[in-house]
Amino acid sequence: MIKHLRPQSVRTRLTLWYVAVLAGALLIYGASTAVLLIFQLRSQLDHRAVEDIETIKGLLSFSPDGKLLFRSNYQDRSYPTKMLDPLMEVLTENGTLLYRNELLGNRSLGGSLQPGEMSGAYLVRSILLSDGMRVRLLSKQYILEGRPTLIRLGFSEESLWQRSREVVIGLLAGLLPVLVFAGLGGYFLARRALGPIERMARRVRDINAERLSARLDVENRHDELGFLASTFNDTLGRLERSFDQLRRFTSDASHELRTPLTAIRSVGEVGLQKAGTAEDYREVIGSMLEESVRLTSLVDSLLTIARADAGQIKPQCTTITVLPFAREVVSLLEVLAEEKGQSLSIDGNDTVQVEADGAILRQVLTNLLDNAIKYSRTGGQIAVRIIVSADDKTVAIEVEDNGPGIPTPHRDKIFDRFYRVDEGRSREAGGNGLGLAIAKWGAEVHGGELELLCPTDSGCVFRLVLPKAGAINGRDPSVATTYA
Amino acid sequence: MRSLRILLVEDERKVAKALQEGLEAESYSIAVAHSGEEGFFRVSSEPFDLAVLDIMLPGRSGIEMLSAARRQGIKIPVLLLTAKDTVEDRVLGLDAGADDYLVKPFAFPELCARIRALLRRGKGTPILNLEIGDLQVDLVTRIVTRGVRRLELTTKEFELLEYLLRHQGHVVSREMLAREVWKMSVRHTPLDNVIDVHMVRLRRKVDEGFSKKLIHTVRGVGFLMKAEK
Repeated sequence: MIKHLRPQSVRTRLTLWYVAVLAGALLIYGASTAVLLIFQLRSQLDHRAVEDIETIKGLLSFSPDGKLLFRSNYQDRSYPTKMLDPLMEVLTENGTLLYRNELLGNRSLGGSLQPGEMSGAYLVRSILLSDGMRVRLLSKQYILEGRPTLIRLGFSEESLWQRSREVVIGLLAGLLPVLVFAGLGGYFLARRALGPIERMARRVRDINAERLSARLDVENRHDELGFLASTFNDTLGRLERSFDQLRRFTSDASHELRTPLTAIRSVGEVGLQKAGTAEDYREVIGSMLEESVRLTSLVDSLLTIARADAGQIKPQCTTITVLPFAREVVSLLEVLAEEKGQSLSIDGNDTVQVEADGAILRQVLTNLLDNAIKYSRTGGQIAVRIIVSADDKTVAIEVEDNGPGIPTPHRDKIFDRFYRVDEGRSREAGGNGLGLAIAKWGAEVHGGELELLCPTDSGCVFRLVLPKAGAINGRDPSVATTYA
Repeated sequence: MRSLRILLVEDERKVAKALQEGLEAESYSIAVAHSGEEGFFRVSSEPFDLAVLDIMLPGRSGIEMLSAARRQGIKIPVLLLTAKDTVEDRVLGLDAGADDYLVKPFAFPELCARIRALLRRGKGTPILNLEIGDLQVDLVTRIVTRGVRRLELTTKEFELLEYLLRHQGHVVSREMLAREVWKMSVRHTPLDNVIDVHMVRLRRKVDEGFSKKLIHTVRGVGFLMKAEK
């Protein structure tokens, strides 16, 4: 229920808060003023009471038969507190009433004896009389002609409460116009402050996937709203780029997926068209399964890329000594080179280390080496070199082949997803066009880079550069080697 | 001996049917459930030796079903099938009480191998010798002989042969070899080529010059070690 009553616009909410806070502050101010006033008036009253009680004491005496005499002629002295005629009671030490003035009538002033009243000190308290009248009561015990006697003097507090009530009402009466004024002002201010946001929101609403190129106007780059607008523009920019990327990637991926799917379908359809022997069917099914294996590997690579794009792959880095690690990858793929009669060599600094995720680094090296073997001619040479940079901050792992090289127009695009220099040949060799894209991502996720160097038209060098582990410790010229 | 009973919980009917037929051909007795509720009902009311459980099920997920079954004290080995293979998913599955998991799409021979391994678990005695036909492998001395001829194998070839022999009579996929022999968890193409080359070499050493071939290729699936009658 309360929820439904909540105002929807920030502007109204701001204004309401503003007014509520102001009202609260003013109310606290008013209340404390009233309380202070009461305290002050009471203390004035107490002063007067002390003066009066001393005067009255002087007017009391006992007759020889023990009756209390009160020389009430003090009223003739034009007493300054006449308007505050005191209520008065006089009691004996055991609480027997000796005197009660006419003003009190038959009301009791303070009732029976209170503890401490007979101590001889001034005792002040506020009490209610039986008819509800608020009274300030002062009592003190005196020794009159040898008899302990208690005098109680009471002053009405009604006028004091009346004054503080008036003050509070006066303040409240002033509060309403102040709050209305503050509310209007607050509403106006909030509206001014929020206006640009509303304009921005209207503009953003018109931006959709087809119109991602639109941007917000930045009025003042240095205020909060300008900051908001330019932040939003940056976000739009990133969104636009990733949308473009996604669109291209989706169309490429569909194309790639369609190829094995088409093969599966047509092999299956043709296989069913004519009755064959069990052997024929085995052949057909085997061929379809091969395509499905290719499809699986493609989907796996796509998943890797999708996760990498989403930033879901966090490298689990350990310290890796590069040479033995690379040697392991080389020995894994060695047989492939052997089959093609290629020589595969590896050398370089054998102590240098990097901080890297073993699985990712292995995949990067495997992809690079596999490419080199795949695209080098039979009997070619492939060399893996591990080199520390001159400034001792990075490590380069180079994979060089003396194959046909990569023609200049293709060099820029070689790391793009699904990009192939020679489509037919790549597919023949079992490539899915993602190997280098994954390798490049693998380099970048470690804060490194992967580049292609083509010194001549024959052969090429892929260079993976990674930050050297412990490079911050400064240079060690003894292990530093320069690379071109 | 009665055939071992396996509960298969899989909502995709085509996959369920294929798996059922395939596993029945391996002489298991299969019960199929198409939802988590049905699976839970059957596993808590009938005796099974093993359950194969898809994670993504309509209604109650495989994980929920598994936790509920474990809470009821059902202790049979459970193999999870999952289409997602992030580490979190695996941890979730294993935490819920699964004994093993397999990522879709998987090779059928691998499913069979995992099921055999789970059913065998805890009852195996160490094997010191493997043999098939006239091929003898001594796992301690690592000496391999075929008939009277002694075969010289590289380390990789020996491991490959051992794995094939341990699964003799069953098809072994390249993925299984990559994972179990090459210890590679990521599936990617280069390794398939590497496996093929090693297989060609191993085959040359084991089968060349003998009339009865022991290593067979099953096209599109993998390899099979079997002595022809």
